[in-house]
Amino acid sequence: MITHDVIMIGGGLSGLRCAIELHEKGVDVAIISKVPPIRSHSGAAQGGINASLGSNDSWESHAFDTVKGSDYLADQDTVEILCKEAPDRVLEMEHWGTNFSRKDDGTIAQRPFGGAGFPRTCYAGDRTGHNLLHTLHERILRAGIKVYREWLVTKVVIEDDRCLGFVAMNMLNSKLEVFKTKATVLATGGYGRIYAKSTNAIINKGFGISLAYRAGVPLQDMEFVQFHPTTLWGTNILITEGARGEGGYLYNKDHERFMKGYAASSMELAPRDIVARSIQQEIDEGRGFPGGYVHLDITHLGKDLIEERLAGIRQICIDFIGIDPVEEPIPVQPGQHYSMGGITSNKDGATPAKGLYAVGECACISVHGANRLGGNSLLDTVVFGRRAGVHAADYIASLEEATDAPLTKALDSERTAISQMMGKDGESYSSISQELKQTMQENVGVFREHDKLEQAVRDIKDLEERAKSLKVRTEAKEFNLELLNAIELKGMLDLAHVIALGALVREESRGAHYRTDFLERDDKNWLKHTLAYPAPEGPRLEYKDVSITIFQPQRRIY
Amino acid sequence: MIKLKIRRQDGEKVWYDLFEVEDKQGMNLLEALFFVQEKLDGSLTFRYSCRGAVCGSCGMLINRVPRLACKVQVSELRKEPTNEGNSEVMIANKKTETDNNEILIEPLPNLNVIRDLVVDMNPFYNLLESVRPWLEMKNDIPEKENIIDQEMQVKLEQYTNCILCAICHGSCPVAARDRKYYGPAALAKAWRFDLDPRENESNRKERLEIVNSESGVWGCDTVYKCVAVCPKKVAPTLGINELRNRINTNKKKEE
Repeated sequence: MITHDVIMIGGGLSGLRCAIELHEKGVDVAIISKVPPIRSHSGAAQGGINASLGSNDSWESHAFDTVKGSDYLADQDTVEILCKEAPDRVLEMEHWGTNFSRKDDGTIAQRPFGGAGFPRTCYAGDRTGHNLLHTLHERILRAGIKVYREWLVTKVVIEDDRCLGFVAMNMLNSKLEVFKTKATVLATGGYGRIYAKSTNAIINKGFGISLAYRAGVPLQDMEFVQFHPTTLWGTNILITEGARGEGGYLYNKDHERFMKGYAASSMELAPRDIVARSIQQEIDEGRGFPGGYVHLDITHLGKDLIEERLAGIRQICIDFIGIDPVEEPIPVQPGQHYSMGGITSNKDGATPAKGLYAVGECACISVHGANRLGGNSLLDTVVFGRRAGVHAADYIASLEEATDAPLTKALDSERTAISQMMGKDGESYSSISQELKQTMQENVGVFREHDKLEQAVRDIKDLEERAKSLKVRTEAKEFNLELLNAIELKGMLDLAHVIALGALVREESRGAHYRTDFLERDDKNWLKHTLAYPAPEGPRLEYKDVSITIFQPQRRIY
Repeated sequence: MIKLKIRRQDGEKVWYDLFEVEDKQGMNLLEALFFVQEKLDGSLTFRYSCRGAVCGSCGMLINRVPRLACKVQVSELRKEPTNEGNSEVMIANKKTETDNNEILIEPLPNLNVIRDLVVDMNPFYNLLESVRPWLEMKNDIPEKENIIDQEMQVKLEQYTNCILCAICHGSCPVAARDRKYYGPAALAKAWRFDLDPRENESNRKERLEIVNSESGVWGCDTVYKCVAVCPKKVAPTLGINELRNRINTNKKKEE
C-alpha cells in the first residue's frame, strides 16, 4: 500500500497547479498519471488564456462574455471567481517562467477570441498550452514532488461517502497497487476519443470521469459537447481560434464569406457553437468542398505575421496535409473538442464525495455552461486547480485515520476483474470502440434530433452488452496496450450513454446542444443542470437549478 | 500495401516481425502502427499521446533516422531506403529512385528497451533534472508582469519549444558512449534558463557550475546531429556553444 496525504490523478495543467499549491502548504502530495505530465493533452492547447489585464477591460466584462457565451447555463457565482482570479493566475505563470508573446512595450500581448468583447486572450505564439504545461512541470521538478509516471488508475474507492484512495495499475509490469490518501484529486481531462472526429489526444478517453461515476458521484451537463469549428480535414488536429483572431476568413466552395449569413456583426469571431454549426450547415447543404470541409484562409495575413503568431499551425498544415497556409487556404471541418460537462464539483473543486476533488476538463464546476469560450479552459485549469489545493489542504488537516479494509477489498475485486478479462475467445476492444465512435459522431454531433439520439442510445446499450464478453489476448506484462484499451473502453461506454441520454431528454437548443426538432432555448423548462447517476439499467437523470447572480438570461445575438 | 519491419523485444529476446498494412492517402506512420496493434498483433507496443507532434511520445528510429512516428507520412517513407543492416544512426535519409514498400522501425537508441518500441525514459528525465531546469523567481517579484522585449521573447522561444521527446538524445554520439552525459535536451534547457532575464543570479550561477563539466557542455562533440533531427527546430548545439562562451567569459572576468 502506497500512502500520501493527497494524490492528483492526472498530470496536466490542473493537476500540476493543484499539486504545487498543496506542496507550498506543506502537504505530502504526489501525482499519478498514465503519461508523463509533459505529454498531457494540456500541451496541445494552442490559442491562449483569458485575463482582463487591459486597462479598458474588467472582470465583469469577462464574466458577462463568459455567461452569454455559455447560453446562460454557467453558474454565475463560479464564473465570477474564474474571471476575478484570472489576472493573478496569469501573472503568476509569467513569474514562474512562461514565455508569453509580448507587445512592443514588453508587456504580455493579448489577441481577440470568439465571443469576447475585448482582446483579452494572452498567448505564447500558438503554443500556449505547451508553454504553460512546461512551466508548471518545471515547478513540480523544483518542488521535488513525487510523480508516478505511466500508471492507470482503475478504481476510486469511496466508503460511507468518503474517498479513501484508489487502485492503480503500473503500466510497466501490469501490477495492481493500492494508494491510500486523505484526499484524491481527479484531473484527468476530457473524453474526445469517444467521437470519431476529435481534436483530442488519443489518450483522452474520459476514463477519470467514469471512475468518479462508477463510484457513485454524479456527472453534470454531459450532453454539452463542444465541437471546434476549425479542425484540420483528415486528422482533425486543432487549428487554433487564434487563426481567426488574427484575421483569418472562412470561405465556402463558392468563395463566399458565409459567416455573414449566420453572425453578421461578429463574423468569424462568433462563439464556437455558432461557427461550428454554420460550417456544418454549409457542408450539409452542399456548399462545402467534396469530402466535407470549408476553407480557412490566412494567406492575406502574410508570412511574417503567420511565422510570428501562428508558426505551429503552419507547421501542422505542412506536416499533416502538405499545405503551406502562407500560400494556400487550410481545409477545415468541425470536430469534437471539449467537454463542458463532467464530474460535479463546486467552486473549490470538491465533489459530493468527501475527499474527492475534480478539476479541469474532467470536472463540471460549471463555468462554461452550454458553450465554452476559447481561452477559458486554460484559465479554468489554473484557477480551480489552485483552489482545490487550498481546500484539500484545509480538509485533510482535521481528518481521522481511515480503515484500510475497503481498499484491500477493492484491490482484490480489481484483480479478479482483470484476470477475467484475459482470454482468447470473445469481443475485441477495437471493434466495439470503433462502432461507439461512429454512432457518437453520426447521432450525437453538431446537429441533433430525437430519432438519431434514440438510435445512439440503442447502439450504446448493444455495445455495452457485447463489452461484457470483452477479452484481452495479449499476455505481455510490460505496456500491455490491449489490456489498457479494454479497461478504458468500459468507461467510454458509460460516458457515451450519459451524453446520448442527456441529449435525448433535453428538448431544447442551448449552446453546443442544438436540436433540429427543438430550435429554441427553453428557459422555462430547461434552465437547469442535468445530473446523471449510475444505475443498473443505465444512467438515472436528475436536474438542479443554475446559479444566476448578476446577469439575467437574454437572447444571444452576435 | 506497405510493409512494416518492426524490431520486437521481450526480455532479452529480440526479433523482427514483418506486417502488411493497407496504405491510405495521408496516412502517417503512427496510424500504420495502430493498424498493426488493432488488427494484426495486439501485443505490439509503442508510446503515443497527442498524434499531432506536440507531446513527443512517439519518437522512434524510422529507417534508421530518429523521428516522431506521427509526423512522418507513409508516402514519404516509400521514397527512402530502409538502411537495414546499417548500424549507424542517421540524421537524414536519402531518396530512392524506386518506390520502397518496406519501412524499418526500431526503438529510439541510447535508452534501454522495456518492450518492443518502448524505451526506459527515466535516465533521460533524471539527466534533465540534474541541470536544475526551472526558473527561480527573483527576490523582488514585480507586481505585474516582467517586461521582456520581443527580441528576447523570440530568442527564448526557440528553446521553450522543446517537447522533451528525446529524439536528440537518441541521435547523440556522446550519449551513446557516456550515460552520464546530460545530453542535448538537458543542456538546451540549461541554456533556456541561463538566457532568461527573469532568472535569479545565484540559481543561474549554480546551473552554470553544473554544466561546466565533461558531463555537461565540455562533453559535446559539436557534430550537430541533435540540431538536424529535432522535430521542433530547437538547436541544442547552439545553446551548448553559448553556454561554453558564457563560462569562458565569466572566467576571464574573474581573472
